[in-house]
Amino acid sequence: MIGSINGKQVEFNKNQVVLTVAKANNHFIPTLCEMADLNHTPGTCRVCLVDIQKKNDSQHRIVTACTTPMEEGMSVLTRTPKVRQMQRLQVELLIADHNQDCAACIRHGNCELQDVAQFVGLKQTRYTYPQFYQRRSRDDSSPAVVRDMSKCIRCFRCVAVCRDIQGIDALVITEKGLETEISVRDHLPLNQSDCVSCGQCILVCPVGALAEKNDIEAALDLLFDPELVTVVQFAPAIRTAIGEEFNMTKGENLEGKIITALKQLGADVVLDTNFTADLVIMEEGTELLERIKNKGVLPMFTSCCPGWVNFVEKNYPDMREHISTTRSPQQALGSMAKTYLAQKMGLDPSRIRVISIMPCTAKKGEANRPEFKTKGFLDVDVVLTTRELARLLKREGMDLADLPDSGFDSPWMSDYSGAAVIFGNTGGVMEAAVRTVYKVATGKELATVEYTDLRGEENFREAVVDLGPDLGSRKLAVVHTLKAARRLLESIKTDGNTYDFVEVMACPGGCAGGGGQPRSKHSYQGTWQERKKGLYTIDQHRPIRQSHNNPMITVLYEDFLGAPMGETSHHLLHTTYRDRRHTIKHTMDEIWKEIEQRT
Amino acid sequence: MAKVIFGAWDGKVIDNRNRQIFEIEEHPEFNDFDEFNTGNPIKAFFGGHGFFIFEKKVNLLDALLHYMERVARESCGKCTPCRVGTQIIKRKLEDLVNRKGSPKDLDEIEIIAEQIKSTSLCGLGQTATVALLGMFQFFREAILSELSTPIPLRQPCETYVSAPCIEACPSKVDVPKYIDYIKDGKFTHSLGVILQKYPMAATCGRVCVRFCEMACRRTQVDEAVGIKVLKRFVADHEQGVINEWFSAYAPEDPKDPHLQVAVVGTGPAGIAAAYHLLLKGYPVDIFEAKSIPGGMAATGIPEYRLPKAVLAKEVSIIETLGGRIFYNQKMGRDFTLNDLVERGYASVFLGIGTHKGKTMQVAYEDPEIQGYDFGVDFLLRINHDYIDRGIPMELGETMVVVGGGNVAMDCARSALRMNVKQVHLIYRRSEKEMPADHEEIEAAKKEGVIFHFLTNPTKILVKDGRIRGIELIKMALGNPDESGRSSVVPVAESEFTIDTDHIIPAIGQQVELGFVTPKDGVELNTWGTIRVNPASLITTRKGVFAGGDCVSGPATLVQAMAQGEKAARSIDDYLTLGRIRFQPKERMSQLVADLQPMIAKGINIPVKHEYRVKIKELDPLIRKKIFEEVEKPISVDQAYTEAQRCMRCYRVYSAITEH
Repeated sequence: MIGSINGKQVEFNKNQVVLTVAKANNHFIPTLCEMADLNHTPGTCRVCLVDIQKKNDSQHRIVTACTTPMEEGMSVLTRTPKVRQMQRLQVELLIADHNQDCAACIRHGNCELQDVAQFVGLKQTRYTYPQFYQRRSRDDSSPAVVRDMSKCIRCFRCVAVCRDIQGIDALVITEKGLETEISVRDHLPLNQSDCVSCGQCILVCPVGALAEKNDIEAALDLLFDPELVTVVQFAPAIRTAIGEEFNMTKGENLEGKIITALKQLGADVVLDTNFTADLVIMEEGTELLERIKNKGVLPMFTSCCPGWVNFVEKNYPDMREHISTTRSPQQALGSMAKTYLAQKMGLDPSRIRVISIMPCTAKKGEANRPEFKTKGFLDVDVVLTTRELARLLKREGMDLADLPDSGFDSPWMSDYSGAAVIFGNTGGVMEAAVRTVYKVATGKELATVEYTDLRGEENFREAVVDLGPDLGSRKLAVVHTLKAARRLLESIKTDGNTYDFVEVMACPGGCAGGGGQPRSKHSYQGTWQERKKGLYTIDQHRPIRQSHNNPMITVLYEDFLGAPMGETSHHLLHTTYRDRRHTIKHTMDEIWKEIEQRT
Repeated sequence: MAKVIFGAWDGKVIDNRNRQIFEIEEHPEFNDFDEFNTGNPIKAFFGGHGFFIFEKKVNLLDALLHYMERVARESCGKCTPCRVGTQIIKRKLEDLVNRKGSPKDLDEIEIIAEQIKSTSLCGLGQTATVALLGMFQFFREAILSELSTPIPLRQPCETYVSAPCIEACPSKVDVPKYIDYIKDGKFTHSLGVILQKYPMAATCGRVCVRFCEMACRRTQVDEAVGIKVLKRFVADHEQGVINEWFSAYAPEDPKDPHLQVAVVGTGPAGIAAAYHLLLKGYPVDIFEAKSIPGGMAATGIPEYRLPKAVLAKEVSIIETLGGRIFYNQKMGRDFTLNDLVERGYASVFLGIGTHKGKTMQVAYEDPEIQGYDFGVDFLLRINHDYIDRGIPMELGETMVVVGGGNVAMDCARSALRMNVKQVHLIYRRSEKEMPADHEEIEAAKKEGVIFHFLTNPTKILVKDGRIRGIELIKMALGNPDESGRSSVVPVAESEFTIDTDHIIPAIGQQVELGFVTPKDGVELNTWGTIRVNPASLITTRKGVFAGGDCVSGPATLVQAMAQGEKAARSIDDYLTLGRIRFQPKERMSQLVADLQPMIAKGINIPVKHEYRVKIKELDPLIRKKIFEEVEKPISVDQAYTEAQRCMRCYRVYSAITEH
C-alpha cells in the first residue's frame, strides 16, 4: 500500500501504524509511552501527534501515530505548526502531573520525559499543581525496588513487563481520574506482594518512578570505615555491561578496569564471584548426582537466581524441594570470605564486610534472607547493582574508560574457569554444570569443552545428555523469564516429572539482561546480545574452562571444605527454602467499596 | 414539548434567542424534555455531542462546571489530555464561576478543551469538551456577559455517565468498567461490577443474547468486543472464591424480621430479586416448583451450553446470603398466594416464568399422544431425568423439531447428543429471520441438524395411537408486515412428509395457568401474562410484584434479571417508604435514548483492526455425541488482549433542573 509522509511517498502493509511506517522511512516522531521491543503501544501519553488527511477527505485530523493505521492514499504531516503546538501542550500537561524534583531524581540525565520535552521544544511549564501528585504513593518497603508514583507518567511499561514478560502480574491500576496510579495488587506493600524483585520494571521505566533501592551510601560507609576490611565481589555479567554507562564498546570485558576502580574506591580485597560460581558447580553438580543416585526429588532446579527462588517460594512453595540447596555464588562468596578467607588472612571475621556488585536487584533481598546470617552477621552486607556502581564511580569522579587494568591479587579466591563466567548467560549455569557433571559421572572430560545444545534465546530449551552407562541419558532444560518458568512448573505439575535438571533465570537472557544492569532509553534488552557475546568470548579465552579444574577450588576443598556436600559445605554452602505464599481473602463489601455504581 | 432557546449539537448551532418562545420550531426529540420529574422543569441538557438550553435564566458557566466536574471525576486517568486537561479546565471554570478569573482564561480553556477533544485516547475524553467548545465558540459573548454578574448559586444538576453497550443492556451492566478492570489486572473488581447487578455472572457469560455486543461501536471498525466471553472469563476466574466474598457480607441496614419477602420461582428473575433483597437486608424465602433451582436457565438450556454446576454455584450465593430455598413447592398446587400473606410475608415477588409449551395448531395435534413433546418439556427431561438422574430415554431414529428460536436449536442439538440419527428442524420463514442466535444456528448446522427453511407443518400423521410422521408444506415470502418481517404464504401443492415418531414443537411458551385464582387478586393480561405497572412491576394486588417471562412473555435471561432487580428496588421502597421512588438515573437513560436520532454515526479516525478472540470449541464430530460444554474458556492472555479492544464509548450527560 502507498501513502505519504511529509510529502514523500511511503510503502506499507495493511494495519501498520503511522509510527512504524514513519520510523521505517526515517521520519522522526517524538514518543514517550510506546516501547517497540515490548510491542507496547498503550497510546496513553498522546505525544506522538501527527496530522493526517485521508484519501478523498478535505479534512485534516490530529491523531496519535502509535495507534493510527496508515491507509491507502493517506498523507501524514509530522511538523505542522498545529502538530508542534499540540505536542508541546501535551508535554506541558504531562509535566503538570509530574513531581519535578529533577535534581534529586535517580533518573537525572537519563530521563525520557526530559528528552521528549526537548524533542517537542517545550518553552514553558505554566501548570504547576503540586496537589496533583503529592498524594501519590511512595513505596520503599522492598529491599530491591523503590516505587515513587509522584513521578509516574502512566506509560504502563512496567505493567506490561511484569504481566507479559514475567507473568507475575503484581502490578494493577487503581483509582480513576487524577488519582489513577499503578499500584501493587491488593494494596500490599511491595515486599509483601507477589513481586519477586527481578527489577525488569526499572529497565523500562522512562522516568524516576521506578528505581533500585539506592545502597550507595551504605557501601560508602563501609568503604570509609578504617576499622573494617571490605571485601568487594563482582558478578560475571557486570564486566561486559558496565561499559555502557561510560559510552564504551558494548560487550567489552572490563574486568581489569573494574578491579582498579574498586581498589581506588577503597576496597581492601577484590574478589571475583566467578570463583564461587565454580564452587557452586562443584556443590550443585554433586547434589544433582546424589539426587539421581538416591532417587531424590527431581527435576532439580538451579538456585542461583534469587528472583526465581522468590517466585517458587511465593507461588509454588510445594515445589521448593526441587530447588538445589546450594547457595548462590554471591552468598557462597560471602560465607567463604568470612570463614575461609578470614582464616587464610588471619582476620577477625567480625571486621570483614562484604559488598557485592550484581547485575540484579533481587540480590539485595537475597543478601538479607535470614538464612544467610551467621552469628548475627550477614554473609553479604551491601549489594550494589551495576547501575549503582556506575553512579558511585561517577560520584567519585572516575571514568571507567580512563582507568588502567589491574588483576586480582587474592591467592585464595579469585581464579575462575570459563564455565563460571558464562553463569551470566541463560543456559550458562547448565553448561557449566554439564562440563563438570560429565567428568564426575564418566571420569572423562566432554569431547568438546563447549556444550552448546542448550545455548540459544528461546524462553524454553531442552536437551538430553548422556552421562555414561551408570547414569544414562538425562533430560535437561533451560528456561528464562518467569512466564516461561511458570509454564514449565505447570506442565511438571500436570504432566508429571520428565526432566532431571532445569536451569531457571528470571530475567530475559539471564543475568546479562538482569534488572540491575544499565538501562537504555526506548529500548528493552537492546544490548543483551553484546553482553552475552562478551561473556562467551571470555570463556573461550580462559586457560581453564571447567569448574573442577580451577586450582583455587581444589585448594579450598583440600584446606577447608573437605569434599563437596560434606559437613562444612552443608553449613556454609547450602540453604533451605520457605513457604512464602500469601493468600488475600476478599469480601464483597471491600470490593464494592472501590467500585462506584454509575448506572 | 421543550423549546430550545439556544444550543449546539454535533457542530450544528441553534440560536432562537431573538425569537418569541411560541415561534420556535418543535423537535420531536424533545417531546419528553419538559420536566425531569413532576414539577421539575429541565432547564438545560449537556451531552457528548453538545448542549441545549431550554430556559433563558440558566447560568452557563455553572452548568459547564457541573458537567466538567463529572468529566474530571470519570476520566480513567490513563491518557494525558483527559487526566490533566479536564482537571485544569475544572479549576479554571471554578475560578470563573467565583468571578476570580479573567476573560483571557476562556482562550486557555478553549485550547486545552480542543486538545482533550482531538487527542484523547477514548470516547470519554473525545466527547468530554464538545459541549464546552460549542458554547465557547458560538456563544462566547453570553459567557463574557455572565462574568460581570454576581457569583451565582449552584444550580441543581443531575449527571449521568453511560455508553451504548450499557444503554442496550436491560440490566444496565457497566460494561466498559468491567472491561477496564480486566485491563487493570483486577478480575475481582471486574466481577464486582457485574455482581452489582446480578449474581448469575457465569451463567450470563455463557448464554446471554448480548444486546450490548449488538450496540458495540467497535462493529463500525471490525467486530464487536467479546463482552460476553470476558464476562464468562472473570466469573470463571473467581468462581472458587465468590461464595467466600459473600459469606462475610453484612447489609448496611438489616431489616426487621417481620419484613420478610417471599419470592416465587428460582429462575433468573426470582434469583435476581432475592439477591437484591438479601443485599438490602431483607429476610427472603424462595419457593421453587421443581426439585432443582434455576427456572428456565436450568430446564430450558442444555448442559453443553450451561453446565448445571455453574448455575448451581451461582444460585448458592442466595443461600450464602441467608436466603432459604424450598423445593417442590408449586404455587397453586402446594400453596396459594393468600397462604403466603397469611404466613406473614410482607411482600411477594412472582417470577414463575412461562413453562407451558404452545401448540402448533395443526390437524391431529394432541399434546398427550406418545412422541409429542413440547420443546421445554423435552429439554427438561434430558436435563433433569437423563443427565441428573441417569434415567434412560428411548428416542427413535428421526426427530422433527418445529421452531426457529434458541429453544428449537437447543432441542435439535440435544437430540443429536441423545443419538437421534436424523434431526430435522422446521422453520416457516427464511434463515435470516430466524430469532435464534446466529452462533446457535451455525453450531447446529456444523453438528448436522437438517434445516428446512420456509416450511410449515400442516398435519401430524397418526396410526394406532402413535405418531408416524408429519406433513409439511413449503412456504414463500410475501410482503413485509408492520414489523418489517416478510409475511409467508403456503405454496400450493408443495406438501411433503417426513416419517418420524417424535415431534418437538418449540414455537413458544406461555404462563402455566392455575397458579392464582380470582380471589388472589392478581390479574392477567389478555395474552396470559401477569398484569403489572411497568414503572414499579407491582401487580394488581398490593404488596405483590412480578417480573421475568411471566410478565414479559418468553424473553431473555438478562431481561428477567433486570426485572428481578427492579422489583427488588420497588419492594424495598414499598416496605420502607410505602411508595415507589422516582429513579433519576432511569430518567436520564430515557432522555439519552430520546436523543439518539440526533447522534451522528460513524468513526472518523482510522482505527487499527484487531479481530476478536477466537473461542476454542469442541470438535463438532465429538461434541454432538456428548453433553460436555462446547465453548472452552479463554486464557488470561487472551482476556487481556480482548479487553484492549474496548474503545470506552462513555459519554457524560447532565441536566440542569429547577429543583
